[in-house]
Amino acid sequence: MKLGVIIIQVLFLYLFLFLGAAVKEIIPLPIPASMFGLFLLFLALCLKMIKLEWVEKGANWLLAELLLFFIPSAVGVVNYDEILSVQGAEIVGLIGVSTIIVMGMTALTAEKIMGRKGGKQQWR
Amino acid sequence: MEMILVIILTYLIYRLSKTAYGKWSFPLFHPLLLAPILLIFLIFMVDMSATQYMHNSKWLTNLLGPATVAFAVPIYKNLAIIKKYIGTIIVSITFGTLVAIFSTFGLSKLLHLKYDFLISILPRSITTPIAIEVSKEIGGLPTLTTVFVIITGVIGGIVGPTVIKSLAIKTPIAKGLALGMGAHGVGTNKAMEYGKQEATFSSLAMIFAALITLIWGAVIIPPLMNMNIHHIL
Repeated sequence: MKLGVIIIQVLFLYLFLFLGAAVKEIIPLPIPASMFGLFLLFLALCLKMIKLEWVEKGANWLLAELLLFFIPSAVGVVNYDEILSVQGAEIVGLIGVSTIIVMGMTALTAEKIMGRKGGKQQWR
Repeated sequence: MEMILVIILTYLIYRLSKTAYGKWSFPLFHPLLLAPILLIFLIFMVDMSATQYMHNSKWLTNLLGPATVAFAVPIYKNLAIIKKYIGTIIVSITFGTLVAIFSTFGLSKLLHLKYDFLISILPRSITTPIAIEVSKEIGGLPTLTTVFVIITGVIGGIVGPTVIKSLAIKTPIAKGLALGMGAHGVGTNKAMEYGKQEATFSSLAMIFAALITLIWGAVIIPPLMNMNIHHIL
């Protein structure tokens, strides 16, 4: 029963994906169809054209199992010999260093802004 | 028939590694590391090529489309929070995406990555479906970009908690934004372990990072790559 609900709701989300693809045909911006679909669904929810309950279970399932959909591409790594070589190890190192910097900078920026807001509130 | 079998097998192995990771949270048991390794081993045993496997499991990859659309639901549910923190989110994520592109570019130059790799690695810190689109727009190889996005996710999921701890980050918004910005969906998955607020900010970070990187893909990356070519010549 629960599975049926999820399947129907996922199909409903596909409908928005197709609508997004249609919008992409009309508006020639370098934005993917799925992003247009996201906007359309968001708009439909805000304008109360559709109810949250119609998509919530399907959306929650897709987001909870997001990692599953990456697995086939991850298996595809073996098609790139270079990734499995010395250069591959270097790239992993590069991504590691860059990711640490990105996370650190983002966290510090947000923390600083929040700290300022908190500080202001204390002054009041 | 083969397709159904492959999908069921992939799902079971995914469940297995997710359970194992949930139980021991040992980094190498990460579902995006353990599951693909087991699957590569299995398809090798039954003489299926990776390309055939990817073709047979394409419906799973296909679900990334509606999964991206599905992000409208958490955005809608958290509209009040977004309105309250919109400034913090935009400033942090704009800065984060710039740091991601420039640090990746700089380090890639340092390693003398070849052109295909260099251009495909630039959109690595955003969610796969959008990263693929950015990669196509700027002339990269989508499969290669996917691989870099996944490596980013796995590494980000592992180093994220250490970064948060060593910088003594306190607020849920900073923790969530850092995880979503640095490691997209995988980071958001990690943020769920911290709490609901962290997970919300992480998925918001991921969405905003994708949107802002779409802009950078048109504005910053092409001149950066041109500069790069002149430098070589």
